Amino acid sequence: MRKLLTLFLLICLTSLVNAQTTQYKLKKYNLDKFVARPLDDLLDTLSVNYKLKIVFERDSLHQFDVVDHFFNEPLNKVFDLVCSKFNLHYWIDYKGTIYILQKVDDMARLSSLEKTLKPITVQKPDSLPSTFSSQHRAEPMANAKQLNNVVQPALTKGTEKPLTQKLNQLPVNKPINLLVTINGKIIDQSSGMPLPSATIKIRNTDIIATTNTDGDFTVFKVPADTCTVEISYSGYQSDQFKLTTEKLSNPIVVELLPAFNTLNEVSIIGQKRGVMNTDVKKVGVLQLTPANLDKLPSLGEKDILRAFQLMPGVGATNESSSGAYVRGGTPDQNLVVFDGFTVYQVDHLYGFFSAFNSNAIKDVQLYMGGFSSKYGGRLSSVTEINGKDGNRNSAGFGVDLSLLSVNLFAETPINKKSSVLFTFRRSYQGPLYDKIFSQFNTSTPQGGGQGGPPPGGGQGGPPPGGGFGEQTTPASHFYDADLRYNYHLDKNNIFTWSLYIGADKTDNSRTLDLPSFISSSGSINITDITEYGNLGSSVKWFRQWNQKVHSNTYITYSSYFNNRNRGSSGLTTDVNNKSVTVNNNSIEDNNLKDFGIKSDWEWQTSNDVKLNFGGFSNFQKINYDYIQNDTTKLITQHTNALLGGTYADLEYSPNSKLHLQPGIRTTFYQPLGKLYFEPRFSASYQFSDRITFKLATGQFYQFINEVTRQDILNGNRNFWVLSNNNNIPVGQSRHYMGGISYETDQFLVDFEGYYKTLDGLTQFSITQSRPSPGESPTVEQNFYTGVGEAEGFEILVQKKLGRYTGWIGYTLANVQNKFQIYGNNYYPADQDVRHEFKSINLYHLNRWNFSAVFIFSTGHPYTAPLTTYTINSGDGNVSTYFNVSSKNAQRLPDYNRLDLSASYDLLKISGNKVGTIGISLFNVYNHTNIWYKEYQIHNNQAITTDVTYLGFTPNLTFSLRWK
Amino acid sequence: MEIKKKSITIFLFGVIGTLLIACNKESQTSINKLPVVEAYLISGKQLSVKLYYQKSLSDTTQYGSPIIGQELYVSDGDKTIELTETKKGTYTFSDTSFLVVGKTYTLKFNYNLVSVTAKTVIPPKNQNFSSKYVTVNYPGATTDKIDTLNKFTWSNPDSLNHVLVFININGTYTPISTKMSGFRERIYQVDTKRKSNYYITTSDFSYYGQYKVILMSVNQEYIDLVNSDASNSNTEKLLNMPTNVVNGLGIFTAIQTDTLNFNLY
Repeated sequence: MRKLLTLFLLICLTSLVNAQTTQYKLKKYNLDKFVARPLDDLLDTLSVNYKLKIVFERDSLHQFDVVDHFFNEPLNKVFDLVCSKFNLHYWIDYKGTIYILQKVDDMARLSSLEKTLKPITVQKPDSLPSTFSSQHRAEPMANAKQLNNVVQPALTKGTEKPLTQKLNQLPVNKPINLLVTINGKIIDQSSGMPLPSATIKIRNTDIIATTNTDGDFTVFKVPADTCTVEISYSGYQSDQFKLTTEKLSNPIVVELLPAFNTLNEVSIIGQKRGVMNTDVKKVGVLQLTPANLDKLPSLGEKDILRAFQLMPGVGATNESSSGAYVRGGTPDQNLVVFDGFTVYQVDHLYGFFSAFNSNAIKDVQLYMGGFSSKYGGRLSSVTEINGKDGNRNSAGFGVDLSLLSVNLFAETPINKKSSVLFTFRRSYQGPLYDKIFSQFNTSTPQGGGQGGPPPGGGQGGPPPGGGFGEQTTPASHFYDADLRYNYHLDKNNIFTWSLYIGADKTDNSRTLDLPSFISSSGSINITDITEYGNLGSSVKWFRQWNQKVHSNTYITYSSYFNNRNRGSSGLTTDVNNKSVTVNNNSIEDNNLKDFGIKSDWEWQTSNDVKLNFGGFSNFQKINYDYIQNDTTKLITQHTNALLGGTYADLEYSPNSKLHLQPGIRTTFYQPLGKLYFEPRFSASYQFSDRITFKLATGQFYQFINEVTRQDILNGNRNFWVLSNNNNIPVGQSRHYMGGISYETDQFLVDFEGYYKTLDGLTQFSITQSRPSPGESPTVEQNFYTGVGEAEGFEILVQKKLGRYTGWIGYTLANVQNKFQIYGNNYYPADQDVRHEFKSINLYHLNRWNFSAVFIFSTGHPYTAPLTTYTINSGDGNVSTYFNVSSKNAQRLPDYNRLDLSASYDLLKISGNKVGTIGISLFNVYNHTNIWYKEYQIHNNQAITTDVTYLGFTPNLTFSLRWK
Repeated sequence: MEIKKKSITIFLFGVIGTLLIACNKESQTSINKLPVVEAYLISGKQLSVKLYYQKSLSDTTQYGSPIIGQELYVSDGDKTIELTETKKGTYTFSDTSFLVVGKTYTLKFNYNLVSVTAKTVIPPKNQNFSSKYVTVNYPGATTDKIDTLNKFTWSNPDSLNHVLVFININGTYTPISTKMSGFRERIYQVDTKRKSNYYITTSDFSYYGQYKVILMSVNQEYIDLVNSDASNSNTEKLLNMPTNVVNGLGIFTAIQTDTLNFNLY
């Protein structure tokens, strides 16, 4: 076993060893002398004496005089002290070169200058080849402004571990094996965390592979066992190594070093579009790594789902829902999977924040439609979130503070085989929280109707106060926690346990003092507690069966709950001085439980053919009870469903340009006793280096729907219902999508168009009757079924590199529905937005990151009263009614806002990022964006009230990391 | 750089093109022109139909302006009569023998070149409407227990639609209970759900006093209106009130009434 481990370590062949050698030297060697000389001189000496490669600008550093007595100080302390004294930073790159920086942005310049210098070999050690790249010295500089590159070339035999050189600079031998297969894993050097979607390229060939979500890769038909492999990944320093015969027999583990702080690029990259994650074989996929989210404006929390809303095709104007409105779909048509389990409650605080803590997330993929047969059960899109593994090398802690919440995380290795990560986030009820809370708890109309359901159908909260108009501020908070435990049984078997819990709780309980017209004295205690959220957990078993086959098997559990407990009790004295006991309550309890098991397999038979297949089975159970006065059950629904199925998906590339991906998914839905087939197909054709055509189509079914019980007086309630034989049909959709992308190193231009049909859509309304004595009040639930269609066109123009990065996105879209209740014609769906324009601008300067996000969109449609009319009713009362426009015939004013942010990176002297301080300004010019309208009839007149989204709101963020 | 120019050109081209395609506003004018009809047909009474204009949202008057100068016709299946405009916007037919139980009546007139029609049938007379108590002395609610105050009964072998209307004819209103729910208007009506009895209780009866209790035999169009009353509904979807007037708004219906007195002290 030990032998195996040694071998395993030996084949960790990366240039990381160079960096580690340098770090090792800095810790090992001490300086014990009095120094009084210019800094450049000192660096020269250190370089010569300790065989370090140090890159700096001689002229600039010559002006600094070091006068200090070092008492046996380790070299890293010396660098810390000196750099700190002169306000400099040092940074060790993956080759082990030390850069001395006056400004953090100098890194790119110094490293490019360093490359232009022609190395000359001063002394060639016997043991090393003449091509030894790190042994070079710059020519003496005539121009002092030029770079000095000082290296002690002599590497005496035995004085240093020659591991680095041995691994990296193997002599060029003749290949022994041709057309070999290599496989391995790419991980983060500091944490041991696998890096998904990293690119592996075989130099001088067209062979490119990407790592899967566990960081694993397999490359077939590598021409020879002497080829050079290049590794790149967003946010990390690129790496390369030469193959050898020995390396082929075991998985290759490549450890990448994080890029220097300043080299970050745009945080969101379409996988097919990005610099590092280019994969032209996938269609309509967005990928996000949460690490760079702090460069975008945020209102309190770094928000992964909100970040997706900045891309074309994902609706950006629903402040009341961080759920994804993807290409005309609604949030409940978007499957959200976290570590294998489905999450049913994806947001906090009435939709303003997503329920996922970015500190616990490794990466997120959004499949915007036409997705592969691996995914199913939703009509529109899939958001797949992968949790972050705990650091396997060292413990780390962090804290993020904002005006809204505190966010803690900790990660630590437990032993060599396992690690754990824990995050916890909780809001506190400061001014920012209250501002957002009150925005989504507007006063409610007392008569008339409301101008259409609020887009997003967020959880309406309790109205402020009770029926007598007193104002109270309810106590409210949200929290979420993630726990992830990772156990590497051996290199082929990894077990992961993931636990997530998130909830929002609002307590509007209060004491109500009765007005005198009801009672001469007394008060009533009102209980009003709302709690909703999600608890989910999964155990994953990763198994690498052989070089070509691996599997992920999950046991999952997810539980959604949405409970409301309202009641009043108390003793009052009435006008006749009689004591009156008051006691009534209503409890509304909706919960969903989802138990599942699934297994996903990947079988890479060659570079050209990969087969994905698997099976799944779920048991879903929904309870919905609406109980009044402890005994009266208004709604009692206890439904459950068993569903199961299989899928297969073939990724086939007949040649290097064409990629075809046919697939099929079958699902047996037990309540209807039917088998559903979902054929899928996607393809891409790389017309040239820069131009790729792509298309996707497929059939999609959905067996569970989220419906909203709209309640003016007490707030909307969302709950989930299962399709049945009776009034809730199985939803189905067909997608037809296509696009062209044009990509250079600097720019990406992407056009995509889509058309979707929708069938079996469900809407819901509820009417509660007044009870007759001796009878229960009854509730009439009406489910309406409709159809719809969505079409649209998207453009993305992105600048991917440089100080200034960003993109503009434009979407032209049309979504319409037809429900019999609103007539026989199609009408604009609630989420229909004709034009949406987004401009995301990021600018980087030294330690500063600035961003500006501008969003413009056509207003949402709504139904408005056009006129009123009054008639006598038969009982002699006079009633005034609204004459209402056809469904969603009106448009709210256009939505627009500008968000700005600036953040400042806190760096160690050694260049490692330890934290960020940021300020975000939301809706800078305080534009009034209307959420919905309310109408009341007062003195025969219809009064319209605009309920608006957030105005100008500033926020401060602060985050720190310790290791 | 050229790429940049090109992409911007393509982008602008797309934007302009799409702007040209977009935007088609639905005309709502036709719906604003619909006349509002109000008519309650009672057998043995003279026929009267009122026509109103709709009101703008900011209009503070109680009723819309009357629609004058129309030619209204009502047919009972055998003969068609023309109504006379006896007051501005009120059209009547004075022959009280025209309205008969069980007959179907059709209103028809042309308004803005559109034919407006509505149809209703006069329901049978109420039978055996009675109150268990004429006067009830109730000491007031002392607990949260719901007390039954009175029971009203009538014959309804065919399970027809009835509505009970309670009209408090006192000048002052003393609540009988401090229970939070159940506060009613001074005049209110309830759908009796095609039954032949109705209990009033402390949970939904609000004030002491003298009451007129009217049993109304009604048609489905009336029930639809009662049940979709905004104050009864907790759906926030804005929908039009149901109407049985084709190409119009309001109601054209027939009722039969029977009245009792009830006192609660």
